[in-house]
Amino acid sequence: MARLACDIGGTFTDLAFFDDASGALVVEKSLTTPRDLTRGIEDAIGLAGIKTAGISYFVHGGTTVINAITERKGVKTALITTKGFRDVLEIARGNRPDLYNLRFEKPTPFVPRYLRFEVRERIGPNGATIEPIVLADLDAIIARCKAEKVEAVAIQFLHSYAAPAHEQEAAAYVRERLPGVPVTASHEITREWREYERANTAVLNAYVQPIVLRYFDTLERSLRGRGIDGSLAVMQSNGGTTSFAWAKEHPITLVESGPSAGVNAAALIARLTSEPNVIYLDIGGTTAKCSLIEDGHIKVTTEYKLEWSRTNPGYPVKVPVVDIVEIGTGGGSIAWFDRSGALKVGPVSAGAEPGPACYGRGGTEPTVTDAKFLTGALDPDYFAGGRIKLDRVAAQKAMQKIADGLGCSVEEAAVAVIRVADADMINALKLVSIQRGHDPRDFVLVVGGGGGPMHGAALGRELGVRATIVPRYPGYFSAWGMLVTEPRRDFVQTALTRAGDMTIGRIRSLFDELVKEAEAYFRADEGLKPTDHRYVFGIDLRYLGQEHWVTVPMPTLEGASVEGILADFHAAHERAFSFKLDDTPVEFVNFRLTAMATIATPALTPLDEAGRSLKSAHKGTRKVDLGDDGRIEAAVYARDELPAGATLDGPAIIEEASSTTIVHPGQRVTVDKLGFLRIR
Amino acid sequence: MAKNGAGAAEAVTREIIRGKLLATVDEMGIVLARASMSPVIYEVLDFACGILDADGQLIVQTNGITLFTGTFGEQLASIRKRHGATMKDGDVFMTNDPFEGGTHTCDIALIKPIYVGGRLEAYAIAVAHWVEVGGSVAGSISPDAREIYQEGVRFPGVRVCRDDKLQQDIVELIRINVRLPTMALGDLNAELAAVRIADMRLKEVFAKYGANVVHDTFSHILESSEKLSRAAVKALPDGRYRAEDWIDGDGITDERIKVCVEVAIAGDQITFDFTGSSAQRPGPINCAYGALLSSAKTIFKALVDPQAPSNDGWFRPVTITCPPGTVFTARPPAPTGWYYEGSAQASELVWKALAPLAPERFSAGSYMSLCGTYLGGRNPATGEMFVHIEPAVGGWGATDARDGTSALIATTDGDTYNYSVELMEAKYPLRVRRYALNTEGGAGAGRHRGGYGAIREFEMLGDDGFFYTGIGRSIEKPWGLNNGGEGSNNYLEWRSNGTRQRVSRVPYQAVRKGDRVAVVTGGGGGFGDPKTRPIEEVAADVRDGYLTPDQARQAYRVVVSADGAIDQRATAALRAGG
Repeated sequence: MARLACDIGGTFTDLAFFDDASGALVVEKSLTTPRDLTRGIEDAIGLAGIKTAGISYFVHGGTTVINAITERKGVKTALITTKGFRDVLEIARGNRPDLYNLRFEKPTPFVPRYLRFEVRERIGPNGATIEPIVLADLDAIIARCKAEKVEAVAIQFLHSYAAPAHEQEAAAYVRERLPGVPVTASHEITREWREYERANTAVLNAYVQPIVLRYFDTLERSLRGRGIDGSLAVMQSNGGTTSFAWAKEHPITLVESGPSAGVNAAALIARLTSEPNVIYLDIGGTTAKCSLIEDGHIKVTTEYKLEWSRTNPGYPVKVPVVDIVEIGTGGGSIAWFDRSGALKVGPVSAGAEPGPACYGRGGTEPTVTDAKFLTGALDPDYFAGGRIKLDRVAAQKAMQKIADGLGCSVEEAAVAVIRVADADMINALKLVSIQRGHDPRDFVLVVGGGGGPMHGAALGRELGVRATIVPRYPGYFSAWGMLVTEPRRDFVQTALTRAGDMTIGRIRSLFDELVKEAEAYFRADEGLKPTDHRYVFGIDLRYLGQEHWVTVPMPTLEGASVEGILADFHAAHERAFSFKLDDTPVEFVNFRLTAMATIATPALTPLDEAGRSLKSAHKGTRKVDLGDDGRIEAAVYARDELPAGATLDGPAIIEEASSTTIVHPGQRVTVDKLGFLRIR
Repeated sequence: MAKNGAGAAEAVTREIIRGKLLATVDEMGIVLARASMSPVIYEVLDFACGILDADGQLIVQTNGITLFTGTFGEQLASIRKRHGATMKDGDVFMTNDPFEGGTHTCDIALIKPIYVGGRLEAYAIAVAHWVEVGGSVAGSISPDAREIYQEGVRFPGVRVCRDDKLQQDIVELIRINVRLPTMALGDLNAELAAVRIADMRLKEVFAKYGANVVHDTFSHILESSEKLSRAAVKALPDGRYRAEDWIDGDGITDERIKVCVEVAIAGDQITFDFTGSSAQRPGPINCAYGALLSSAKTIFKALVDPQAPSNDGWFRPVTITCPPGTVFTARPPAPTGWYYEGSAQASELVWKALAPLAPERFSAGSYMSLCGTYLGGRNPATGEMFVHIEPAVGGWGATDARDGTSALIATTDGDTYNYSVELMEAKYPLRVRRYALNTEGGAGAGRHRGGYGAIREFEMLGDDGFFYTGIGRSIEKPWGLNNGGEGSNNYLEWRSNGTRQRVSRVPYQAVRKGDRVAVVTGGGGGFGDPKTRPIEEVAADVRDGYLTPDQARQAYRVVVSADGAIDQRATAALRAGG
């Protein structure tokens, strides 16, 4: 038995391979091959030198879906709506977040107006039919789709979350008459209300579906060709996996496939280290991503917006996505001066090609990685395990631009770039913690990604967390996370009901329906028995008149009562919003079911102590400029040689092939039995 | 200028402090929105938070909408005038007086002086729209108010906290004068939490970096913005530029109200002079001076740097003048409840005057009016009364680079969302029959055309129904730029029992079950000569149903069939015809 995970990132394709028999974990990296992503996977497998025959489980995460959308490489898509509402996709929400821009442009809809069609039908908010559907209206639409060579169709009718019958009829009618053209009905993706958001979600699903179909078919052929005959899974955005087959029908659920694995891995670290509260930071080549894990649970929302920024409303996608704050500051982010002469870092990145100047591949812009290198944090001969020899002259030449602007030396400029990058990351970390009412002193900071360990100790100190934890193989954190991720699907049903009209019987029957769906899903897709499932129930409630709601989690339905749920709601509302309204009527809004399947995942084995000692790990010393802590001589250690239980004091540099951990003066590192570094 | 290494470190420290200040005002906003009970605050984002230095200059601000762009300084100045001598640590002041720098009575500002080590170092301010402050109608914005007394309680910079404790007598005064006291006091507490967060965060910043470095950062923020701002003004040709416009009624009468501006640019100075605008009106369309400042500064900011964070440095080159007693500088006891319609007109005047000078920063005229409409009645299922309040999205003007944006919220609002049809139908006895782009009304033709407005048609399903509305730009059309065509008008269409009426400002109208009320917004103005619009773009508009073949022929001189097929020969002949 062996398992293989592949995480395709913007720059690298990461591989993690686990042999159940020996307990050995193999990690490897190859360059991502944007034109044919399968090749990057094959390259990584080749580099790793692993035996693929007999791999019983393959799991995969990547950027196919998000790239197809952001690069507008999807297919020609049509949208069919309720009569009177074809423009909803273009009207969107009408908001203008870029307040002073009198030339504000809305995001362009993914379906142009001439491919948006209307059908006579109407369902009311309670699911009752107000006007029956006129299927004959579809004939002309189908003819137009044929004439226009439409490649995918989305259908969204008002209130289909309450009663999907009309969407089902229309979808069946169109599928029969447009063979080979994938059709997405909005209720198949989400049963939550809000017509624009659901329409956009259905449209994006349709828009990428043919591409994802082709991609998975190619990948599957390649894997089967290598003798991988086990089950094929894919990482979704909700921190769980699903099968290739299901993903092909619901590709939009893969939109944040890669990042969600890292967050899930951080949740596992929370369990392994008995630190239930984690702030997770992943620093990659182009961005840094933060997420919060409270009481061991990742946060999943359906409020995700693609391409959102402070000035862009983005495209809402109502599928469960791990709650992540992302900023445009990563290792490859370029330092520059704005119009007023202020030093900024990112969001423009040197990317994989040409990469930071110090990679010596033609990059001329000063990046965060160049700055780290010039301060002495990186060993030019041991970057990426020695695979990339860092070019000091090129880095200095690039950083000179910043030195000239600031009127200082190149080394001082490098320190300045790191300070600005760290400040950006601190603000993002505070956004997910302090600004959402969490006290960092109750949390540990877990860092991942190639860049995480380089910044983690400094950020952890400024944030005031209990400790900063550097897991093993931080540069492969997402790929490793995929190996340990279980199948998961989130179900939701909007059923607006006042508390006075709600009974526990109705609540049970609503959840029973969702559980039935979950059982059918796992049976069909994973071949799993109901005994393998775990369920988490949740209800969204709000005070009458409110727009926002609070999710009240329910560990079990046993002994639940409407009164008990309401009491929990009042308490949860007070926690989240600092007040409760005892005398105001309450509404039940959405019913949520998270279904997870228990499958065997590889255990992380304790460090093999053989041949490890603090002494053998000590490689010498290096001068490093740590900004406020000054330019000092730091001890350099090889992480692979550090034994469990070792303790060492900063300043120190701990090197491994995929990353470098910086420890500041006054900080102490301990190596735990699993090999995690804990910095305090 | 050569700088040494230490100077470089300081420059970076200043940027880091600036980042922390911006994060602080963001956090104030998050705290305020989270603790508020009012959808106007947490949905419409009708609030703003800021930090001002000890001299009362705005250093950082966060806005959800543009209406508070210039009010903070004025409000703080009036507080300092009243209480400067007795102000001490632990005080918090409350003001909502339009005649002391505010907007309308619903917008309540809380100001907290921040002391570090016994020294006054800064002020934190939070302003938010309370759902209700009393007065003649629920919601305190009476469409036909004649005096401010009908618009609720005024708080003339009262000390609402002493020694950081809420003054119970003021709390009781609020409780007894407003219709929704729980909500009002909840919002008071939310704003208090916001200014207290600022106090805490600023104390941390002063402790970490020292007073000198923070002061240096404050000056740097103001001076670097001022420098950019002056450079932007200097780049514009010196001269005097005028614009005039009409306000279509004040809520009491439909009499059109003339307004005008003269923009004078001399070197790096710019003056907006609204002299000549009509006298203040009996109805609530009036603005007081603070609102006028906001509306002019909003457009000025759009001119000099729309995305950079706002502070008073940007506005140092600006002088705004207008004699007292006009519709833009109303004096007590003028009502100002609908000031946001008046200030939208002031913004558009400045915009219209400046647009030809800096076409790369502006667009042609927009639908402009929020078209705020109240639909209400009794829910037949529950017997409860309801009121649904909606601003409407509409068409924006074209620019020198592209077509105008369709169905977008007006300048006065910002990150404000329209209401989901599905949510609304589940909540109220209303059925939306149509939510569509208003292609029938059309948009300004041009090399780039205006964006389209929207049609939102409601069927009233309840009993005892009513609506009231305040719709501007119902007579005067959005203006075009560079020979672009005019846009189209906003209106409300009420259909009942076979009759059909178009209205714009209506204090109260009873309606029957089954009546249709459609809020229709106009298209924006066009940019450039329509005859120069590429034929393919016109054909694409026809294929998309934005234009009819007839309109394509009339406005653009393009002969195209309904499916977008171009008759090149006929088009060439028509376009050559001059």
